[in-house]
Amino acid sequence: MKSLDIKKLRDIVGEENIRDNLADLYVYSSDASVHSSMPNVVVRPGSTQEVQKILRYANKNRIPVIPRGAGSGMSGQTVPIDGGIVLDMKRMNKILEIRPEDVLCKVEPGVINDELNRVLEPYGFFFPPTPSSGKICTIGGMIGTNASGNRSVKYGATRDAVLGMKVVLANGDLVTLGSNTKVDSSGYQLAKLMVGSEGTLGVVVEATLLISPLPKYRAMGIANFKTLEDAGKMISSVIAAGVTPSMLELMDHVAITAVNKAQNLDLPDVAAIVIFECNGMTKEAVDYEINQIKEISRKNNGTGVKVTDDPDEMTRIYAGRKKLFPSLSRYREKLYTTALADDMAVPMSKIADTVKKIHEIAERNNIVMSAYGHCGAGLIHTKILMDTSEKSQWEGAKKAVKEIYEYVHKIGGTTSGEHGIGFSKGPSFKQEKKDSLDMMRKIKQALDPNNILNPHKLMDSPDDWLTATPLRYQIKDL
Amino acid sequence: MTDKNKSKTKGKHLKKYEPQMNMCIRCAYCFESCPIVKETQWDTDGARGKVILSYGLLTGDLEPSQYIADKFFRCTFCRDCVERCPSKVDILDIISSARAELVEAGFASETHKHIVDNIKNTGNIYGDTEVISQERDGKTPLFIGCQYLGRPNKTKKYIKILEKLGFEPLVSKEICCGFPMEVLGFREEYEEHKKKFKKYFPHENAITLCPTCTVFLNEGHNIDAKHVLQVILEKIPKANLGLKVTYHDPCDFSRGLKIIEEPREILKKLGVEIVEMEHSRENSRCCGGGGGILMTDQKLSDNIAKKRIYEALETEVEILVTSCPTCETVLKKAAQEISEEEGKTISVRNIEDIIWMGLKNVEAS
Repeated sequence: MKSLDIKKLRDIVGEENIRDNLADLYVYSSDASVHSSMPNVVVRPGSTQEVQKILRYANKNRIPVIPRGAGSGMSGQTVPIDGGIVLDMKRMNKILEIRPEDVLCKVEPGVINDELNRVLEPYGFFFPPTPSSGKICTIGGMIGTNASGNRSVKYGATRDAVLGMKVVLANGDLVTLGSNTKVDSSGYQLAKLMVGSEGTLGVVVEATLLISPLPKYRAMGIANFKTLEDAGKMISSVIAAGVTPSMLELMDHVAITAVNKAQNLDLPDVAAIVIFECNGMTKEAVDYEINQIKEISRKNNGTGVKVTDDPDEMTRIYAGRKKLFPSLSRYREKLYTTALADDMAVPMSKIADTVKKIHEIAERNNIVMSAYGHCGAGLIHTKILMDTSEKSQWEGAKKAVKEIYEYVHKIGGTTSGEHGIGFSKGPSFKQEKKDSLDMMRKIKQALDPNNILNPHKLMDSPDDWLTATPLRYQIKDL
Repeated sequence: MTDKNKSKTKGKHLKKYEPQMNMCIRCAYCFESCPIVKETQWDTDGARGKVILSYGLLTGDLEPSQYIADKFFRCTFCRDCVERCPSKVDILDIISSARAELVEAGFASETHKHIVDNIKNTGNIYGDTEVISQERDGKTPLFIGCQYLGRPNKTKKYIKILEKLGFEPLVSKEICCGFPMEVLGFREEYEEHKKKFKKYFPHENAITLCPTCTVFLNEGHNIDAKHVLQVILEKIPKANLGLKVTYHDPCDFSRGLKIIEEPREILKKLGVEIVEMEHSRENSRCCGGGGGILMTDQKLSDNIAKKRIYEALETEVEILVTSCPTCETVLKKAAQEISEEEGKTISVRNIEDIIWMGLKNVEAS
């Protein structure tokens, strides 16, 4: 990397939109992952032309460029391993078009998910991917990671809702990908390829998104299970029966204990709880699906099955799941939540086995793990709770992560369901996708021959996530 | 991995918050409605940014500097981040501790030093030795606070309201509660001041006029302080003012003390219809006047205040009522500027004016 010409970048974006003070660089050195590495400069482009100019300059001078939205990624996607330019995209936040008649909208990448939904609501529409970070995460970040959320069981992930986009390539060229149509059989689906590419292939400057009509009615239920196997069977039976719940969430015993301890919610002391929701345009249609789920729950030994369409009661039912994340942070003194092995997806029938395996591996490696998540989509969230100051805990976590992913791959699951790879999951990802890594590298080489766009991520990530960069914690004897 | 073994700051104030900083999962949920981030769009200016900077100061990754100090004093202490934080990190304690580290390292602003000197020398933030405390004998200790001492007519009005409603306020010479010292990072000065405060205000309970003093008397001095609106609510008579207003919840009220319904109930009793703004109650947006920002970054404060006035204008009422003297001052200025620049007008009033009008209305009828 040649030395950075800050003045040149300042001329492109203006004084107000560039920072190279150590304090700012320190803040932009991390995201919601465990890693940290300083950029050389943070730049906030306000237009496509500015993005093009920055990339032309960076490409010519072989300077890494790391696109960043809200910086809420959990796998280190926006951590600049080799320094370079962090491209903060939040200024490009205009909603450009809303076309209900075409069931689509066009937005800039810095638009916040919930802000888009707020603007779509009067039209009777919404943007279906529902990440729990929706209040702050940007569309650009969601595209980068192919984000989804608790409604992915019905609506899919961001990739399913992206029709097209405009992308600035590494050499500064602007290309239009995809179309304005729901079906597209016109050659390579390059817009879909960009989704989940984590800023390694181009910088998205405009996205065409599929929107959905807002459901008019919804109902929610809860069922308790004495064994994880029963809960797992219930989940896969619901999906196999052709029911399309808008939410199908699992909480394991550690999760239940954490919520009860931290929030006094008095959830039953059982092996697993499943929360389900159905939505639709008529009460009859929703009731039909809800009744099917109730029946399937009972058949799989679900107890205490409760269903409601009262908004307050639905909020109360979901409170346990909603408050799980903060509860884990308060699970036990000196145990801190780290985002590692946090979002694997497995075949539906393997959910219970995977959750059991996670606990077995955690115990063997002397760490605490909880399992929960959007299991209706096969997605399991885990959090590793550990004393982040202890070297041995990190070593245990590293071993556990490796063992968990080996198991996940063995049963046909995938490394990440919705948070992406970054480099926290690099080693496991490379193991899982070993047959296609060369293909990925060729695509990267074709689009970014100088390797300036978010280097050392995905297939090019370091072999050891623990030593790839400094961690953002103080660790004794490390 | 990084060598984070040597600290370049004393870490005296931040050390105890290290577990809290580790608890911060850096999710950025605190950005959602942070008034500073909404204005500047820089991650460094949000609560997550400040927690990261605090960690840097504690570990020695960062050395104290004027640049970092300026970042920490860019906060209105509106408590919105505290409400949003899923891990319930004590963000404001971390920020005020970092401020204390920076002040001790020599990075206090001259304006803030001046305020602290005023409190030390005169007992109030304005440095006014002629402050009228309107002393009187009574049964219930009343703590007036600097903001109201500096607005004697408003104080007089509140005292009269209390008396009309059958209270016997005990008013004696008082000094500042010390909150500005604590929030601006002058902790040594605050500890000294605290001893002095006890001598002036030895009571175990009090009625207060200012929302911030109410919080701080409870949290900083362990005094059972109730805001005057909580106390008079039951005794407010029914009136028929026939006004239509919008209500701005001061941050220390709605998020600090969770006083949300009381002012609304009082207004309703007086025959005032409330048209809520898009963001109200615990989701109320900040007025831009808190945390010392008013004194160090007037432009930023003005921009935040103007946003709030624009939101109030959307309700299409003619009056915005609030119950904090700082909110009132800041919003009044913003409303005046918008009126001059764009011709859109809304009158900003403090709730004691409306209560006084209501009591007069009752007397007249």
